Amino acid sequence: MNELLVRFATWLDGFEASTALHESIYMYSWIETTHVLTLMVFLGMLMLIDLRMLGLAFADVPAPRIAAALDKPMVIGFVVMVITGFVLFFAIPERTTNSIWFRLKVVLLIAAGINAWLFRRRIRSLEQTLPERGPMPKPLRLGAALSLAFWAGVVVFGRAIAYDWFDCHKDLTPFMSWLAGCVELS
Amino acid sequence: MLEFFTWIDNSMLASMAKAYGGVFVVVQMFHLLALALLGGCVLLADLRLLGVLMTAVPSETVARETDRWFNLALLVIVLSGIFMTGAVAMKLYYNEMFWAKMTALAVGVLFVYTVRRPLLRSAAHVSLSPLALRGMALASLVTWFTVAACGRWIGFS
Repeated sequence: MNELLVRFATWLDGFEASTALHESIYMYSWIETTHVLTLMVFLGMLMLIDLRMLGLAFADVPAPRIAAALDKPMVIGFVVMVITGFVLFFAIPERTTNSIWFRLKVVLLIAAGINAWLFRRRIRSLEQTLPERGPMPKPLRLGAALSLAFWAGVVVFGRAIAYDWFDCHKDLTPFMSWLAGCVELS
Repeated sequence: MLEFFTWIDNSMLASMAKAYGGVFVVVQMFHLLALALLGGCVLLADLRLLGVLMTAVPSETVARETDRWFNLALLVIVLSGIFMTGAVAMKLYYNEMFWAKMTALAVGVLFVYTVRRPLLRSAAHVSLSPLALRGMALASLVTWFTVAACGRWIGFS
């Protein structure tokens, strides 16, 4: 599995565009800045929606109204983050593939995705019984709290990718080396 | 100002941040999470004033709710920011982007607490000049975007 991933990364790294992007003076910085600043659009909206579910923001406005109003900007932010995220990965594919932080980030992204899907199912089944004001029923509050925790984790691990403490060329313990998926290609 | 930066560079704050790299990273993460919340509040409040977002909710409600979370986010950002500045004080003192960011931040904070809030709390929003509200929303968006963009660029310059 790791060998396959590393081969894929090496293949991506062979593209001229990948090297050009990585070595560019401004382009890489602009894309990364866009990726980080779009957090305000995506995560900002998501936090406000989740805070509403917990009854901590807009408590006297019906929750579905808040969710409906902020869904669109949140999705727009998400799309921009995914696109710029793929470009950033394409610029530095090999190191990122073997980054413990990037791997943890992907795991949390999947967890956040499953949680969001479950949340949407729950809110639909409870639609008729939701209170107008205040906190939502417990299963929805749990989903909102998990959402905040997972996404905070995604941001934290994403930020950590920049640090090289556990890069494959360092003296890693066998466990960390396994986690980072360091392999020697023949 | 140089004296202040030299002092903070030699303070306990800086020694702590320099001795434990992990502490700096954790603080930086809180800074980043608070940025998302602050940016989200600014974006929602201003786009509501521009009539783009959440038009089904009264503008006064949106302003009141976002103000509360903006305060918390700003507090976290400033506290974590002071700590981070302490860790790399001398480097930042000679970094133009840092001063650009601080200038924009000062403008933003003054603007929020001396112009924006007093105006939005002075009367029902429908009775205020739409042109003034829209101008204010645009100025706010540009200011806070500048703060965040300069902040990210400190790392590149």
